Amino acid sequence: MTVFSLVIINKAGGLIYNRTFNEGGLNKLSTNDYLVLAGTFHGVHAITARLNPVKSTPEGRPLSNSTIPGVPGGILTRPEPPSGLEVLESENFRLQCFNTLTGVKFLLFTDTTQTNVDVIIRRIYELYSDYVMKNPFYQLEMPIRCDMFDRKLLSHIREVNNR
Amino acid sequence: MVIYSFYIFDRHTECIYSKTWLPPPSVPGATPQQQYDAPMISTTGAAVNSASDPHQHSNPNALRSGRSAVSAANKASDDAKLIFGTVFSLRNMVRKLGGEDDAFISYRTAQYKLHYYETASNLRFVMLTDTGTLSMRNVMHQIYINLWCEYVVKNPLSPVEHKGGAGVRNELFELGLNQFITGLIGRTGSQ
Repeated sequence: MTVFSLVIINKAGGLIYNRTFNEGGLNKLSTNDYLVLAGTFHGVHAITARLNPVKSTPEGRPLSNSTIPGVPGGILTRPEPPSGLEVLESENFRLQCFNTLTGVKFLLFTDTTQTNVDVIIRRIYELYSDYVMKNPFYQLEMPIRCDMFDRKLLSHIREVNNR
Repeated sequence: MVIYSFYIFDRHTECIYSKTWLPPPSVPGATPQQQYDAPMISTTGAAVNSASDPHQHSNPNALRSGRSAVSAANKASDDAKLIFGTVFSLRNMVRKLGGEDDAFISYRTAQYKLHYYETASNLRFVMLTDTGTLSMRNVMHQIYINLWCEYVVKNPLSPVEHKGGAGVRNELFELGLNQFITGLIGRTGSQ
């Protein structure tokens, strides 16, 4: 069970963070290739959300139904918004994508046997919130250069990889 | 297990076969199990041909159904193109990261799962299922061996290149695929 690398993509599809934890798991790419990969993935993610073959509940449902107070069934039940790609599997690795509400994407590359990836990725999101978003010198949408985040992330992943 | 649709793309990136088992958009509320007893067949090429048939335009109802068939066919072909684009990008991404011998197997969203299988001759099989379905790679491999090779490749009347789906949509292949998928669903459904 190994976590290979982490990629963070901002809401515009730009690569803002890229770190490899385990050499030899994945091919080493140039920075330019990683930028291309981030952009490609951003586009593919949008398409995969649109490809949904299951049509959600019929549109044009009367809204008045939903606003009757006190009726248990009267609560507006929104269909789940179509989500884009969440997990990608290949023969050599697994890619888990966590899309935050603000459109930031966390891509975690692991080997195919890694479990609890969603827990790991949520912890990374917490670290991001604590040490990147709360860093007064961090500019939004810009590449992440925060020492504290790097350190906390590395120790978290090391813990996961040595488990 | 629910299978939504199935696509075959040739090495020229053209969609040469597509089939969906989706409920028709006008009839909501039917349970998926019922639809599998009589699978809906959406034949991209055939729908366009029947819509442009002049006899259909004699009454307004037929015209309307013809138009909706055209838009449905357009949507189906758009979907096929989007699927191919997605699969192509992801496959290249996977090969770049995992090495040349790596192969893209599947991806999953919250709503559906897409399975991918590529043969050595760059023939690509894509299947959309619900999220709970396990790997369909062997299923698509079986389709390739038992249906594609038997009924399309070994068919002397079938062209080498299946431009516009020529030679793929033959009776035996359709029948075999339908039987195979229905059997598959029946088997897992009864468990």
